[in-house]
Amino acid sequence: MIDRLRRVLRVARWETARAGGGVDRRTLLAALALLSVAGVVLGGGLAAGVVGLDVDRDVYRVGVDPGSPYADAIEAEPSLTPISADHATLGETADLVVLDTDRSGVDREVAVIASDTRKGEAAAAEFRAAVEAYNERLMATEENTTAAFPVTVSLRYASRTSPLDDGATLGGGDGDGGAGGSTDGSDDDGDTGDESGEGGDADSTGAGVGTGDSAGQEDSGLAVPSIGGGAFGAGTVGTPGAIAPPFPFASLLLAFAFLVPMNFLIQAYGSSILDERTNRRGEPLLVTPLSPAEIVAGKTLPYVAVAVLVTAVIAAAVGGGVLSVVAVLPIAATFLAATFVGAMFARSFKELTFVTVGVSVFLTTYAFVPAIFTNVTPVALVSPLTLVVFDLQGEAVSLGEALFSTTPMALGAALLYGLGIGVYREEDLFTQKPVARKFLDALAVRLSAVEPGSLGAIASRDRLRPLASVAFLTACTIPFVFVAELLAVAVLFALPVTVSIPVLLVVIAFIEELAKSIHLYAGFERGVFARTDRVAVAVGLASGAGFFLAEKATAVVQAVGLTELYVGRAAFGSVAGVEGLPVGVLLALLFAPLLLHGIATTVAAVGASRGRTRYAIALALAALIHAAYNFAVVSVHG
Amino acid sequence: MGSADSRLTIAGRELAGLRAEKTILLAIAIQLFIAAFSSFLVVGLVSMYDPGALDGAEIEVAAAGDAVTDLERAASEVGGASVTRYEDAGAARLAFERNAADAVVIATRDDGGGGSGGIDVHITAPDATVETTVIVVQLRDLLRTYELNERAQRAEFLSESPLPLPERTGSSPYFTFTYTVLIPVLVFLPVFISGSLVVDSITEEIDRGTLELLRVAPVTLGEIVDGKALAAVAIAPGQALLWLLLLKANGTPVANVPAILALMTALTTLVVALAVAISALAPDRRAAQLLYSIGVLVLFGGATAMAGGPANAVARLAIDSADATTTALVIAYVAIAAVAYVGVRQLVAENGFEG
Repeated sequence: MIDRLRRVLRVARWETARAGGGVDRRTLLAALALLSVAGVVLGGGLAAGVVGLDVDRDVYRVGVDPGSPYADAIEAEPSLTPISADHATLGETADLVVLDTDRSGVDREVAVIASDTRKGEAAAAEFRAAVEAYNERLMATEENTTAAFPVTVSLRYASRTSPLDDGATLGGGDGDGGAGGSTDGSDDDGDTGDESGEGGDADSTGAGVGTGDSAGQEDSGLAVPSIGGGAFGAGTVGTPGAIAPPFPFASLLLAFAFLVPMNFLIQAYGSSILDERTNRRGEPLLVTPLSPAEIVAGKTLPYVAVAVLVTAVIAAAVGGGVLSVVAVLPIAATFLAATFVGAMFARSFKELTFVTVGVSVFLTTYAFVPAIFTNVTPVALVSPLTLVVFDLQGEAVSLGEALFSTTPMALGAALLYGLGIGVYREEDLFTQKPVARKFLDALAVRLSAVEPGSLGAIASRDRLRPLASVAFLTACTIPFVFVAELLAVAVLFALPVTVSIPVLLVVIAFIEELAKSIHLYAGFERGVFARTDRVAVAVGLASGAGFFLAEKATAVVQAVGLTELYVGRAAFGSVAGVEGLPVGVLLALLFAPLLLHGIATTVAAVGASRGRTRYAIALALAALIHAAYNFAVVSVHG
Repeated sequence: MGSADSRLTIAGRELAGLRAEKTILLAIAIQLFIAAFSSFLVVGLVSMYDPGALDGAEIEVAAAGDAVTDLERAASEVGGASVTRYEDAGAARLAFERNAADAVVIATRDDGGGGSGGIDVHITAPDATVETTVIVVQLRDLLRTYELNERAQRAEFLSESPLPLPERTGSSPYFTFTYTVLIPVLVFLPVFISGSLVVDSITEEIDRGTLELLRVAPVTLGEIVDGKALAAVAIAPGQALLWLLLLKANGTPVANVPAILALMTALTTLVVALAVAISALAPDRRAAQLLYSIGVLVLFGGATAMAGGPANAVARLAIDSADATTTALVIAYVAIAAVAYVGVRQLVAENGFEG
């Protein structure tokens, strides 16, 4: 064991030295110079207020009389361009015309005519917001602040389950600006009783400051995670316009910062792996007594170390703790693992670039999108980034939640490495096979031979082993099946329900059938399985059973994880529903999926044993059987 | 012309490589994924950040305090929030506890109700539920209207009266997002991919030693660069056009398509020139790709942050708000790209690739 570790470390040292050689000092200096120039320019620009990420600058044209005060309001809003009302033709040179009937004073009225398009509507909404902002600024200059801002608001969040006996501050009207601060101060003490109260506190700090300009946003972003209380700071009196809805915007942005360095890391890592494969450079390493797993571990170690280091630095900079680092680690591992598989399969640097871009885009969305719903639903925990957001908000996370969130991704990374290491051998490293063929190779490596003769006596343990490996491989596809199904749901989300539900059922059936049978096809194609119907039925049943068991196991784990998340809330719906049913029906309900998986996969397996075209046809058939079953289940339940 | 032929041959060879690897399909799949997911993302983000925009959700407010009459009047103007009056703060809070109300608002006058003093409003909203955001947004609308009314009553104390607001109109926040973020992203993604392709193509030839082989053939280094650049630039506008057509089919009209394509082709040329220059300086793929990503990041980050950046130009062209400056900008980008490419090609043709 120690020996192994030493060998891995030796490869790691060598990899570090080589990587350092590839990116020489001059390159690093050039990169640093570029970055610092950009930083200085951007920082200076932000400080001076010249630079702003106004992607919507001047997208709407508004016809307005230049003398009208509305022209000032439009001028101040980046997305609106004022056009002199004399030259404005609605629909051609202007999207909106402001008719300002100036009767000098109190009875001023305004009417707008928008072009009859969605653009006109959007322009009208922007215009209204611009006038509101203009009024806020105008009022801020008034001497009589009580008349300008007659309403002072203090907002607090309370949990309905906790008694509100600390509400003494609610009724009493103390001074103007001080009200917000004092209410909030007592809020901190009052709500600590239950865990969700914490969330309310972190949010209420956000409520005070969201004034809208980007500089202010940035400041509050850095302050929000660490400083509790103190809503409605000294400068901003709590006017109604200053209320911001509780949304962990700042924490989310900071969490995104953890993902950015990954993209650079996987570029270097992918290059390093593919480098081994060009011009047979990796051959000397292969002939050493090192095992492929040791070589890969050694080559990966420095990149993992860099990932941990960078993450720790970012965490220290944005106010995250150990939890942030622990949560980002599985994400980093998955980035690296996916890139490793990509680099093992890719034929050229060009292909690798596409793979790298694909991995970045896919994993970034997969990690980021669920984290948006952090404060809304426990399902957000499918992404470890949610833990980072929690950490930045200063909320406690239970061990169960942390495990629920990080384990699947870590498992996925391990499985990807398993897949890639299978083809870390001469015949695949240095050849230019198409990606699909290499993928089949990688799957076939994990299977053991099944001959028709060996199926005679099933009782024998030795003879069951090949079938067990089939079942195990199927079980390993579960995390990827879930991700693919999640993706299908997300992509089909935009369609109307009448279309999306049936399409979704078919797509899910197809994904599952593919996952259950693709390695069987690989086994037949690579000659691991004998091409007989008997073998096909045997491996098909084994695969179906493997999938069934794994699915049930994850269902149990999920139920445990989710019920733990819902502590003190309503019990699990499905459990409550089955209580009254007789045992026979329960058993049938439990084993109906087993029957389905077995039959459908056997159909696909028989097709797979007869070559590519037959496999495609059989796969479609199996997916149809599966989809029909899904339809039946949905219609019975619904 | 012999030299034009050899350029086309090299470009053809590049494209054939891409076709054989079917990577272009992967690229389009990635873009499709981004497009599909961003709509999902927008719906998610918008519904979290501005849920009032999604539908007219109605919330129930339990109100108490001596200024509650005006609050009720404001509620009747807004819609989206209905106010029920309770005798005192305790009764209102009890209603909140019993789920009879979504939020508690206690409005009290500061100085005995003289009409000139301020009003203190204390809100209690439920914490950490899905509806909290909706409730807070609706309350904000209600209180802003309330503020407007109260301000109007105090107009005599103001030196300048605020401008009257135009009518409220319904509008979808996706509209602005589609034109200012989604379309620029979809148009520029092929640009980055093309540049990255050139870096890969050149460094790979150097690495495998096939560039030397090519140079034995009767082509000049400049022609090799031309061929590779031609292939990379040629595949970009097609991808962008595909997106714009898809968006059109999906009910999002995109104006000025030729100008957008011209702009993105110019940018592709610029980025390809950058890629050639970088691979000439740093022939190792890792170093070259690192420099390329940082370079593109700095270039586009800087350009987007400045007024009249390419992202904003595309947005204005697509939404049909282009004017003379936008046209001038497109011409300027074309000129810059042409100069940059010719300059880089000249340098490489004279000095060759390092390594």
